[in-house]
Amino acid sequence: MAMSVSAPRCLQWSDREDYQLEDYEAEVPRWCTGCGDLAILAAVQRLCRDEQLPLEKLVFVSGIGCSSRFPHYMKTYGFHGLHGRALPVAEGIKLKRPDLHVFVNTGDGDCCSIGAAHWLHAIRYNMDMTVLLHDNEIYGLTKKQASPTSPRGLKSNTTPRGTHLEALNPLSTTLGVANVSFVAQAVDWVPTVLYEIISQAFHHKGLSFIRVVQRCPEFLPTHFDPWMHDPDRLLMLTHEDGIQASPELSRTYKQQEVHDPGEMNRAREIASLKDQIPVGILYRNDEAPCYEDVVGSGPPITGPEKIQASVEAELDKFTVWPPSEGREGRG
Amino acid sequence: MSAGLRALVRFHLTGEMEGDDRRADSRLRSALLAPYRDLSQLRYDYPLVLVEGSAGGGFVRSLSSVVDAVLREIAPEGGQGERLRKHLLRLEAAMRALVAEGVEATLSELWRLAEHELLSQCDEEAAGQLRESFGQAEAAGLVDGRVIDCDDGTPSQLFQHAWDAVQHERSRRALEEIEGLLLRLSDILKADFQKSEEAKAPKNLRRSVGIRFEESFDFEALSRVLKTSSSEGSLSESRRERIRSVLSVLESQRFFALPTDAEGTRDQAAPHSFVFDSCTRAWEVFRERVPEMLELLKAIAIAELELENRYRESEHDALFGRFGETSLTPEDLARFPSYLIRLHDKDCEEREKARLIDVLSSGLPLKILVQTSDILGKPSLGDGQFALGVRGMQLASMAVGLNSCFVLQSPSSDLYQMRDRILGGLTYPGPALFSVFTGAVENAPDLPPYLEAASAVQSRAFPVLAYDPGAGGDWASRFEVTGNSQAEADWPVHSFSYEDADLQRVSEEIAFTFADFVASDRRYAGHFAPIPREDWDESLIPVREYLGLAEEEAARAVPYVSVVDENDILQKLVVDQKLIRATRRCAEMWRGLQELGGIQNSHALNLLERERETWEHERERELDELREQALREPRAAVAPPATAAGEAAPLVMQPSEPETDTETEPRSSDEPYIETPRCTTCDECTVLNSRMFAYDENKQAHIVDPTAGTYRELVEAAEACQVCIIHPGKPMNPDEPGLDELTRRAEAFN
Ligand SMILES: Cc1ncc(C[n+]2csc(CCOP(=O)(O)OP(=O)(O)O)c2C)c(N)n1
Ligand code: SF4
Ligand code: SF4
Ligand SMILES: [Mg+2]
Repeated sequence: MAMSVSAPRCLQWSDREDYQLEDYEAEVPRWCTGCGDLAILAAVQRLCRDEQLPLEKLVFVSGIGCSSRFPHYMKTYGFHGLHGRALPVAEGIKLKRPDLHVFVNTGDGDCCSIGAAHWLHAIRYNMDMTVLLHDNEIYGLTKKQASPTSPRGLKSNTTPRGTHLEALNPLSTTLGVANVSFVAQAVDWVPTVLYEIISQAFHHKGLSFIRVVQRCPEFLPTHFDPWMHDPDRLLMLTHEDGIQASPELSRTYKQQEVHDPGEMNRAREIASLKDQIPVGILYRNDEAPCYEDVVGSGPPITGPEKIQASVEAELDKFTVWPPSEGREGRG
Repeated sequence: MSAGLRALVRFHLTGEMEGDDRRADSRLRSALLAPYRDLSQLRYDYPLVLVEGSAGGGFVRSLSSVVDAVLREIAPEGGQGERLRKHLLRLEAAMRALVAEGVEATLSELWRLAEHELLSQCDEEAAGQLRESFGQAEAAGLVDGRVIDCDDGTPSQLFQHAWDAVQHERSRRALEEIEGLLLRLSDILKADFQKSEEAKAPKNLRRSVGIRFEESFDFEALSRVLKTSSSEGSLSESRRERIRSVLSVLESQRFFALPTDAEGTRDQAAPHSFVFDSCTRAWEVFRERVPEMLELLKAIAIAELELENRYRESEHDALFGRFGETSLTPEDLARFPSYLIRLHDKDCEEREKARLIDVLSSGLPLKILVQTSDILGKPSLGDGQFALGVRGMQLASMAVGLNSCFVLQSPSSDLYQMRDRILGGLTYPGPALFSVFTGAVENAPDLPPYLEAASAVQSRAFPVLAYDPGAGGDWASRFEVTGNSQAEADWPVHSFSYEDADLQRVSEEIAFTFADFVASDRRYAGHFAPIPREDWDESLIPVREYLGLAEEEAARAVPYVSVVDENDILQKLVVDQKLIRATRRCAEMWRGLQELGGIQNSHALNLLERERETWEHERERELDELREQALREPRAAVAPPATAAGEAAPLVMQPSEPETDTETEPRSSDEPYIETPRCTTCDECTVLNSRMFAYDENKQAHIVDPTAGTYRELVEAAEACQVCIIHPGKPMNPDEPGLDELTRRAEAFN
């Protein structure tokens, strides 16, 4: 399979520096010890280091939630936005700055509840970015409130007698949207596969959506134990166009299925598995058009003159004009 | 060798310089201190708030932690919170500035002053917003107490305050007990009185009814009736007398101030004082008070027996008669206030010093604070040999040697971090020595005391150390040096950035050595000479690297320290040999402390090396045997030494089989290890012990030093690791307590 890499990406590779993992680290994460978000952060930092991505070419966009603190911990550009609004902000950035690598970090509350409308449209718009859904099946930041992905019967602070409805399935939902181009699932506790999936998602042109099953030891300390403690309940999806399980991995994770990510119907079946957590790439379509390519992103706002002009315009707002050329006077 | 270099080498060797243009009077400081010109702009541990009415660990808070706590409580995420944060941080900065100007006040007073200042600087609208933020913060409830900066008086104030806090709590408990006893014992006497003729007399009956109903009763008649009732069971005279005397002891004791009683009849003399400025005096007073202490203890013990009517004269009279000084137990002593003795090294006479040692070895709860404002001492005659912090350091090491004395050595800069240790020393039942370097050095007037103190720890001239004999039976639990910066290293290394002559940013790593510390002390200016810029070349070697050079390399090198002058211009100074020797001695002393604190312990390292060798031999022998066997039976396949992988799917997540990669060393199940590629970077183990567990370049955990902690920690980490990839192996220290149980717990993970 040919790997599609857009032109600006190739260009900036020419002036790479020797980045170490620490170069991508910003402040010390405030997540709880044991939180699965830490594993996701480490995997992303490894990827940036391995790809030698320049700090200034990266932007991490998030909404609100524990997981949405992610941009603070990357020493790159970041936008910690409004609850549920990570995706539209990311789209705006991508549209004006197609040369940036855009990552989105969003929680199950942020994406599947308040931000659900944006989620569907972002999948359909298929703009080139990597979306990580940190799905701990709970609202962590607001201290254990049920989320749309909480399994039926889960007792939480908002549902003390247990939730009433079946959980929303983020994989099936995404797979049901027109123009979807990349859907994968990872679990935070198998770091090699998590890394591999994020890496493939990063190289995919279009919106790649990864649901990461993420532990919240603070509020649901044993929630994923049945899966963590029984490797047979993970179903590894392998394929030459997907991930390949190493011998060590295969020794522990014996349940494997060769799944062609081009097969939408099987992908949907896999997405609705109940007892097992499928891990790997469920679906991928390299032909799906990207919104920014279809409509174009308008004239670039980079380049010395452009920058000069926008800085001047910004500064003008604060300039005190002499009476004769005052703002009003100048019309 | 250029002429310039020759001159430098000569200075290094002889301490003499042609033309002698030493920096005699210039104000230099280590380059690493350059960014800290104005401390009031920084958020750091000082100023401190001596919190009023607090018990336990909260007796002192840093101003910034108080502000942070309020912000955590009231500032929500988002724009609104951001404004609050900005406003309160401005207020904090204003308070800091006031303290730096020398304002002495409580937090609430300081808050008012700073608030007033900020409000007077802005327009109505902005003032309104500020007022709103400050109001919100105050509504959240602030602690209050005196605010102090880091100066000569800090240790004295802080320890007095800590002692008060401990004492307050102890007094509260003692008074609760004493008042309870007083009440219940008086009740016995009162009940007894009711049986007496006097109680049944008409006069007393009238009193008990009160004026309003006086006319309604015939008290004479009442008295006649009552007198016919039996007086059986009244107290014996000796018991009554004993209870009275116990009551009088409890009421007149002077160790704890009793509140005035309702009748105002109590006449307690002024309570004793327990804070002294002299060991000799404290010691004398303590001895004088022993009889009073015995009397009080006896009274409490008798009272307890009396309340349950268990006092048997035949048995207890003799017992309490023999009760003397030798019957005092440490638990008894711990019920009384401890004594706080605050000394200043500079005005401490020889006699005092001798008494100090008596006190520290006495086992009595006397707490001594020794404040030192000069750890280098005056350069001794001519030869400029360094006394090298002898006074401070010697004292602490001597006290540690006494074995049963609690010791804390810390400069002022680290006292806040050591606050739990301070409390630990004050509550420890025996004697305690707190040796504190104040940083208020006369000879380095350009450095604020905080920086001077912090430099003393950094340079290992005055490391932080704690010895707590109550923490356990072995050194590992008692002795700690981990409070020092980069405790694993000889010298802490920090990065330093500056602009070079071409205005380009340059970053380098600089170690803060003993020589760097000495560089800001004018008395020692003679040990340094400036290196002209044109001579800055590769023969100049920073002191840390210089100390590691082999002899012949050292002969060709010039050791230097980087300093800045008052205009922050970078300079390099060559260091003479005498100071290099002192620096080396300082490093050796530090290494000695490290070893005691379990860092790079030479015994442990030797043992580890021996074990590794034995293990490797054994392995070699096994392999040889297998090879021979294979040669003897050419057709039989050689079984791999590792056990074959189990076929059945495990129910519980098992550790993966060790990698069969032939490159990696085979692993013994005795050695602890982590399956690093499976690590989820969850922080559990690294939070537990960051010297034992650390992340590699992929941010995945591995065991850096299995001896940097206990086996217990290894087992606990294995249990905490949610993906079960930590294998604790076998214990390395056979003397660690509780090994049986730990080994059993470890089995699940090996
Ligand atoms: C508009 C809006 N509504 C509600 C909230 C309160 N809120 C903050 S985080 C959150 C849910 C976060 O859950 P999730 O996205 O799953 O993130 P997690 O903390 O679990 O990582 C909510 C409801 C908010 N900040 N803004
Ligand atoms: S609350 Fe849960 S999701 Fe949030 S940081 Fe803690 S463990 Fe992670
Ligand atoms: S506890 Fe386990 S998963 Fe967590 S950091 Fe340590 S080794 Fe890694
Ligand atoms: Mg969540």
